[in-house]
Amino acid sequence: MPESATSLISVRGLSKTFGRRRVLEDIDFEVEKREFLAIFGPNGAGKTTLIKILATLILPSSGTVCLDGIELKKNPLAARERIGLISHESLLYGDLTAHENLRFYGRMFGVLNLEERISHLLEKVELEHRKFDLVRTFSRGMQQRLSIARALLHEPSILLLDEPHSGLDPHATEILDGILEDLRKDDHTFIMATHNLEKGLNHATSVLILSQGRTVFGGRKDALDISDFRKTYDGYVGSHV
Amino acid sequence: MNYLRRILTIVGKDIAAEIRTKEMMNSMIVFVLLTLVIFNFAFGERFEGAAEASAGILWVAFLFAAVLGLNRVFVHEKDEGCLDGLMLCPVDRSVIYFGKALASLIFISVVELIALPIFAIFFIRTIFLANLWLLILVLILSNVGIAAVGTLLSAISINTKARDLMLPILFFPVIVPILIAAVKSTGLIISSPSFPEDVLVWLRMLAIYDIIFILVGFLTFEYVLEE
Repeated sequence: MPESATSLISVRGLSKTFGRRRVLEDIDFEVEKREFLAIFGPNGAGKTTLIKILATLILPSSGTVCLDGIELKKNPLAARERIGLISHESLLYGDLTAHENLRFYGRMFGVLNLEERISHLLEKVELEHRKFDLVRTFSRGMQQRLSIARALLHEPSILLLDEPHSGLDPHATEILDGILEDLRKDDHTFIMATHNLEKGLNHATSVLILSQGRTVFGGRKDALDISDFRKTYDGYVGSHV
Repeated sequence: MNYLRRILTIVGKDIAAEIRTKEMMNSMIVFVLLTLVIFNFAFGERFEGAAEASAGILWVAFLFAAVLGLNRVFVHEKDEGCLDGLMLCPVDRSVIYFGKALASLIFISVVELIALPIFAIFFIRTIFLANLWLLILVLILSNVGIAAVGTLLSAISINTKARDLMLPILFFPVIVPILIAAVKSTGLIISSPSFPEDVLVWLRMLAIYDIIFILVGFLTFEYVLEE
């Protein structure tokens, strides 16, 4: 598959094995700038492993991943500056305040004008009034909103989302979706792993279905027959859960 | 400069969290003081003049207290998923290693500084104030080795099921050379009113092991985290 000139993320022949267990096998896809790729799949399909590889948290066994022209294996530090990860875990320290958490991550990323950036983001996620409270006193929804602020601190161009709606109540889900929609206007590119078909299709411009570590379906959302796609997805979820 | 600044950022974060929770320091301090008190009741009078045995008690207490602390070095990172947060930062993995090791070194040293006067009251009958700086040098060199190897092994054990058991099993065999050198040099220092020439051999050994352990941690930490 020839590489598109405008592709921001390019994944080629990606495989990952843990011991004898093959978790991902020969994954290929490309994501263009400002695109929103939703990766669907049942539990154990390899979605989280794929997101972790893209986030440079684990190394692939074979294959290459390029983000914005940077090959992850060769220059992971430069790639990390372009990546923000929002996971079902907040990646925040419960014994630090919201402000301390953001200041810590901001310093680790070498963010300039850090205090201004923190204030701006806390306002954006509507947590300015709780900035001096310990994160462990936050509800799950508030932690997830703060997690979005953490992920955006260094102004990444690529946002990786791993089941971001997991465990959120409807109100928190609404706030999260609102923030994601706002971010889409700001030139971000998204890859979201989810098993929530509604949420994924709501945001996506492209879709991919993983099953047992393999790509079983991929395409642009506007070219899809949604009801056929649902049937295809349900078939994989039903047969592999 | 950025490298050092980010190491200090991790140290500052760990200290801030520890000041707030006190969960690591409290258990270490209580453990080391209880150990010294129990040994004093059990053997107090019999240790008069037996400097090396007293030094052995001191380092057993310090080492077990250190293990209590080292067991918790990555607990928050693991339990709250923050290890992924740290690994997402655009810094070399060795920054995380040195940040965590330096924070551990500070915690262990503070506990020892609190326990040392109690040890002196219980077990030391000779005046060794002239050699106090030498004893502090032994503490620093030993603690560097303990923190360097302990942080690396803590990162390995945190991903195992029996992580609380795994660290001591991995840690004690590796730390034996440092323990021997620390006990021998401490024994020489607290038994001698003047400068004990023989201590230099043990100090050299501590320094060499520190360099080895730091290098091993620096070179292997990336693989420990990623696998």
